[in-house]
Amino acid sequence: MKRFSIALVFAAFATSPVAAQDFSEGSEAKTWNLYAEIPATFEAEVVDLLCTVAGDCDNQCADGRQLGLLRSADNALVYPNKNSQAAFTGAAVELAPYCGKMVDVDGLLIEDEDFPIKNVYLVQKIREAGSDDWVKANKWTKAWAKENPDAKTVDGKAKGPWFRRDPRVQATIAQTGYTGLGEEADAALIKELFE
Amino acid sequence: MRRLNFISSCLAGLALSTPAFAVEGERIQVRGEIIDTWCYYSGVMGGPDAVTGSAHHTCALWCSAGGIPVGLLAEDGTVYMVLKIEGDDQSASGDTQLSLASHEITADGMFYERDGLNYLVVEKVVTDHGITNLNHEDYGVVPPFAIPKPKK
Repeated sequence: MKRFSIALVFAAFATSPVAAQDFSEGSEAKTWNLYAEIPATFEAEVVDLLCTVAGDCDNQCADGRQLGLLRSADNALVYPNKNSQAAFTGAAVELAPYCGKMVDVDGLLIEDEDFPIKNVYLVQKIREAGSDDWVKANKWTKAWAKENPDAKTVDGKAKGPWFRRDPRVQATIAQTGYTGLGEEADAALIKELFE
Repeated sequence: MRRLNFISSCLAGLALSTPAFAVEGERIQVRGEIIDTWCYYSGVMGGPDAVTGSAHHTCALWCSAGGIPVGLLAEDGTVYMVLKIEGDDQSASGDTQLSLASHEITADGMFYERDGLNYLVVEKVVTDHGITNLNHEDYGVVPPFAIPKPKK
């Protein structure tokens, strides 16, 4: 009986309900119509990923390092790959003000057992734990504009999306082209696409 | 019964106090392409084969510069989330990862697995093979607007 009881405890622990926990309840996340998206809101600590994963903590929470969400309910490390903006922008800038703090987040988990993929997240809203005020995770382009005040033109026009005006991207494309293979490969592709 | 409660308490305590630094690393050498993980995982721009290589190079530059995590897509299909490359810890928008967008590399470093995701700290890029996946021949450019229409 004693052995059975101990086994029961281990079994219960191994199949802990948090393993299959549904974080969609209460989520107000907007759909992106992604095949594997699941609305999810949860409490988590914002952590420096290099520190948490690899113990590389000397420079933790510094600008430019990726940040993770250590979910309170099950201690799972969730990786926010994306903020709420449409245009090729990540989540680290959005989470940086909260590094080391407890937050609530709302967004979309990307989970697909067959791919397989789990614990990848698109964060749409953040609030410090205990606060009622959600903050939209859409600050990346403003931060970019502040860092790139001279990147105002593309093809001589005063405006354009950040990714057309980014100096590093422009320099890389100028050097190796849109395909990364050089002028000749680009020219052949452009001819095929547009002529 | 008392012992059962004691074991339960210990296990519960263990679960709650699991340290953040719980991942054991393993030194590996792996060859693969530096990819944009969001497009690859989300399917937002099409299937996995279309969001790699030369077809997706410009978008990979945009995503890398935009702070989306880069990954290393190994020959066996495993994706490693890259956290550092040769001492450069700027894995959100950093210069080193931007310079390797779409490149196939052989990397030597430390591998970690946690909660279903693979992580890689690249200590050395042993070989930069350049862009070897010439899938623009099959897919053109992904997304289609990545190459602006030339002015006449």
